[in-house]
Amino acid sequence: MVKFVFIVALVFIGNCFAYPEFQRFSQENSGRPINCAMCHVNGDGPEGASRGQIGSLTPVELNRLNAARGAFAPGMPVESPILNAFGNNIIRKIGKTKFLELRAHPEQLAEAYGFQSDLDEDGIPDAQEYLDGTNPLNRSHGNPWKLFVHNLNQYKLHIFLIILATVAGFYGLSNLLHGFAIQAESHEARN
Amino acid sequence: MKRSFVASTFDFLSSRLPIEKLSFKHMVTEKDVPVHRMSWGYYVGGLALFFFIIQVVTGLMLLFYYEPTVSEAHESVEYITHFVTMGALVRNLHAWSASFMIFCVITHMLTSLAMKAFAKPREITWIAGVLLLLVTFGFGFTGYLLPWNQIAVNATKVGLASIDQVGQYLPAALSHLAEDVRVTIQGAPAIGQATLSRFFALHVVILPLLVLGVIGLHLLSVQLHGMSPGIEEKPVRKEKFFPFFILKDFKEWGIAFLVVFVLALCLPFDSLFPYPLLEPYNALGSTPDGIKPEWYFYFVYYPMELLPFWIIIVVMTTANLGLFAAPWIFKGASHKFMRWIASAIAAYLIIMTLFGESIYHAIKG
Repeated sequence: MVKFVFIVALVFIGNCFAYPEFQRFSQENSGRPINCAMCHVNGDGPEGASRGQIGSLTPVELNRLNAARGAFAPGMPVESPILNAFGNNIIRKIGKTKFLELRAHPEQLAEAYGFQSDLDEDGIPDAQEYLDGTNPLNRSHGNPWKLFVHNLNQYKLHIFLIILATVAGFYGLSNLLHGFAIQAESHEARN
Repeated sequence: MKRSFVASTFDFLSSRLPIEKLSFKHMVTEKDVPVHRMSWGYYVGGLALFFFIIQVVTGLMLLFYYEPTVSEAHESVEYITHFVTMGALVRNLHAWSASFMIFCVITHMLTSLAMKAFAKPREITWIAGVLLLLVTFGFGFTGYLLPWNQIAVNATKVGLASIDQVGQYLPAALSHLAEDVRVTIQGAPAIGQATLSRFFALHVVILPLLVLGVIGLHLLSVQLHGMSPGIEEKPVRKEKFFPFFILKDFKEWGIAFLVVFVLALCLPFDSLFPYPLLEPYNALGSTPDGIKPEWYFYFVYYPMELLPFWIIIVVMTTANLGLFAAPWIFKGASHKFMRWIASAIAAYLIIMTLFGESIYHAIKG
């Protein structure tokens, strides 16, 4: 039964491949090597039998995949088991029809998706991470300079406090060592 | 009459490690440090020590959560980064200070070479320093594998494969020796759990113990002999090691700490790599583009990619032997000549580190 559902699902789904136009654009635009894991669960794409690939899906997951592939209009619920949160969010936000249209203009995906969403909360919008070729779902990953500037602003108080603590520590240590030096000198003078 | 080998060795050691000077008075209160145009070089070794201390402290913290098994290593690193309180900060401190430590150790070696700090009676200080340089590279190589991600495993494979290549240039009777060495380090015919266990043991137990011993010898020798004069001319003045020099040292440590802390807090080390390289290692999956070792191995990695391997073996063997034997090779060399040699090495290291990849692409197309 499971096999039957799987085969029917595959026939229904038709071509089960990722859309390399977007990957190619992101890589060329950013100059960083990227892979399918930007939008897919599996870095090697949806084809195969590993985790997050079509061949490994259960009947329930195949139903979710079919529902996702039918989400042609924006705003429909999308929970594709082969897509990660960013991939699902793209289809949810712009709809499958628009997404397929953008295959000819992958540079417009960022604009269509919008710069409000930041799934990993690293301060860099998902759309910007797509342009930068960085991982939109890892808050430790992003364009180094943009991450640095964002974190510097976020942790201003922490940095101020650590500077204060270091200066205070050095002041105390300096006095302590001067005290030791004076004591050592007076000890030598006595002897 | 020719003196016996034992007597000569005893004389050599007693003049290099004069234990009669082993007193607080001689090593601390009476010690002077020359002040001249190259005195900044005296602080670099201290900075390397400071970064090593950060390595030990943060490494111990990471040990609480890190799992040295192929099935859990990557997951445990991800757990540290995303779920442990201040885990990302500690991990980034470890990663950033490792790079700074290696930078300082290399710079310390170059400044010591430029200042001819290896000259009699400081040969043992120098040899201990060269050993520390090699052990530091060992730390870098073994630590790189531990996150068990794509770049870690694939770059280690490249590193270990180069040991096999050495076998091609050995006489037939010894040709299997290189493979034996590789398998011994690897722990099994292919990289796997045995390799991770060995690298973990090397990184957290064997190399730290070795470093503690060699640092002890290095520092003892520095304190017994004092700082090397550094330049041929008379120094501008001398300042007391305690408390003035040591306070300046601590001030630099404070600045270095603030720099590494801000970097670790604001710039995750992982962001410097393409994200496919940070995925868990998958032996059955495709190898992502951009696999290369850490920046401090570029000086040997890119030439290795461009030149016949025998040239690399000859140059590296000569360079290593030359470093150890520097006190005897450059015995009569002037300070000016040593500064020239050190500058040439520094220029090569900077060019290969910053532009090695571009040079590689320009030549290979």
